[in-house]
Amino acid sequence: MTEPAVSVERLEKTLGKNKVLRGISFQAQPGEIFGLLGPNGAGKTTTLRLISTLLSPDAGTVKVLGFDTRTAPEEVRRRVGVVTADIGVYPRLSARENIAYFAQLSGLDGRKLKARVEAVIERLDIDSFAGQRAESLSSGQKQKVAIARAIVHDPPLLMFDEPTSNLDVLASREVREFMVESKGRGKCVIFSTHVLHDAERLCDRITILHQGEVVASGSTAEVRGIRPELEDAFLELVGVQ
Amino acid sequence: MRATWIVFRKEVIEILRDRRTLIAIGLAAFATPIVLGVISQVSTKTATQAYAIGYTGDIPTGLGELLTATNLKLVPVIDPAAAAKQQVDLGVAFKAGEIDEYYDPTRQSAQIADIRLQTVLGQYNAAKAAAALQSKGVDPGILTPLHLLPHPLSSPVRAASNAFLSFFLPYILITMILTGGFSAALDSTAGERERKTLESLLLTPAPRSRVLLGKIAAVTTISLVAAVAAIGSMFVALTQISLPGPSESSHISLNPVAVPLMVWVALLVAVSFSAVTLALGTLAKSFRQGQAYVTPLYFITIFPASIVLFIPDFNPSLAYYLIPILNAVLVLRDAIVHDTVAWPALAVTSLSLLATGGLAWFVALRLFTREALLTRS
Repeated sequence: MTEPAVSVERLEKTLGKNKVLRGISFQAQPGEIFGLLGPNGAGKTTTLRLISTLLSPDAGTVKVLGFDTRTAPEEVRRRVGVVTADIGVYPRLSARENIAYFAQLSGLDGRKLKARVEAVIERLDIDSFAGQRAESLSSGQKQKVAIARAIVHDPPLLMFDEPTSNLDVLASREVREFMVESKGRGKCVIFSTHVLHDAERLCDRITILHQGEVVASGSTAEVRGIRPELEDAFLELVGVQ
Repeated sequence: MRATWIVFRKEVIEILRDRRTLIAIGLAAFATPIVLGVISQVSTKTATQAYAIGYTGDIPTGLGELLTATNLKLVPVIDPAAAAKQQVDLGVAFKAGEIDEYYDPTRQSAQIADIRLQTVLGQYNAAKAAAALQSKGVDPGILTPLHLLPHPLSSPVRAASNAFLSFFLPYILITMILTGGFSAALDSTAGERERKTLESLLLTPAPRSRVLLGKIAAVTTISLVAAVAAIGSMFVALTQISLPGPSESSHISLNPVAVPLMVWVALLVAVSFSAVTLALGTLAKSFRQGQAYVTPLYFITIFPASIVLFIPDFNPSLAYYLIPILNAVLVLRDAIVHDTVAWPALAVTSLSLLATGGLAWFVALRLFTREALLTRS
């Protein structure tokens, strides 16, 4: 059996006085899109931050391709690319400079650096605005730059946290297509969203979080069950009829 | 250290493309000569300005010429006391054997006119006494049984120049280091949070301590550039203007001892300030909040420089050199005024500033690595 890309075991986390996660467990495999669903405040973003080592677990373990986030955080970060809803780019750097900066901090240099940067620029169709300062780019273009910098070091695990929440229809579609393409390349894609329609179309398996606990987990069809839409199952699971 | 270099290079590029920082450095370069020019003009004007003396009575023979020669203009008035309040700078009533003087001590022009009048009257009285003695065949030399022969141990021009520099140079150096790096420090900390780039930066495998070190190095560099621009332009300006002093050509120059010392102290102060401002910037959620945190630093810098201005002969014990910023100002003042380096004071100053920088770096690192950096909204 192949090693899971992400393995979360009995994970707990408290932020301030708020117990955000109450012992959640799940696994995500390479070559699949794994949906992390839940209403606002369910603990999705905290879970992603724990996986990417930005936060430390209070209890439980998180492993990324066998590396424990507590004992080998830098190894984990080398293998993770994260795209968040907040499209933060350095406004006074060009799109290319933004991407190259993160590539360098991920350990790339020399010819490999240049080759990787140009490869992601071409793959995400950034070429036409690669030399422009980020402050002059549209939201969709900035999101492409954000994706490019997250994947420039070719990580086997990609995490998307509400990636389409600030985008128009066209840019959202491009992001979705990119996730499917990444899955095709054998990457594990974790997709955190509350847009259930997107999750139903894209995800192979999903886990639904509610108030810091896993309330459902399995393939999209399994979680939906006999209900006509995933949304019906979701509302039932989080206690809204 | 590769990550530090990468962060340093990126920060410098971003800073140099930031209009706020460029304006700060530009102001540093242009403001100093302008301020010096204004000081020079005001000083020259004060030294050469004519002051009006309102008078009544008969002017003693020869005194009118002496007063005119020293830019004291005699103006006839009806009531010298009333005129001295506004109409003229000084009022006098010439009487037989005495002069009543009226002046308002709250007016600076009255004070200057009073000093000039007293000097002229001293010369006038001495000349009259000497003439009277000579007419009776007595040597006027008996009026001055003891002659004072001054032997200054250094050039009075140089002393005046040093006194000016001992205040102005440390003040410019320290304030420019702070203001030059101010915006850069906030931009690379609070700015990262504000424009949502911090999370992506912390997601890279680069150790956070190296990232922070790169930011400190960049802010330090910009601070030093601002300070060099300000001091460079100050010296260019000083070659073009002269300040009123013991001689007409009182151009100001810095002694060779002070130059390397200034570079060393500037480096220490810049590193310390960078770490402190980055720590404060890390605490802030936005650029504006960062500004509120950093602004009190201005007062901390202005206060020590003011001590040197108001107490020029302040000679503190070695313990005072433990106080950051004050120690930098004092060490620079000592080098400029005395042309020597007080090694124990310099050693204590260096240790103090290094410790301050190290402590601030440690605090900044703690703040930079805490979870609340991302989770606090």
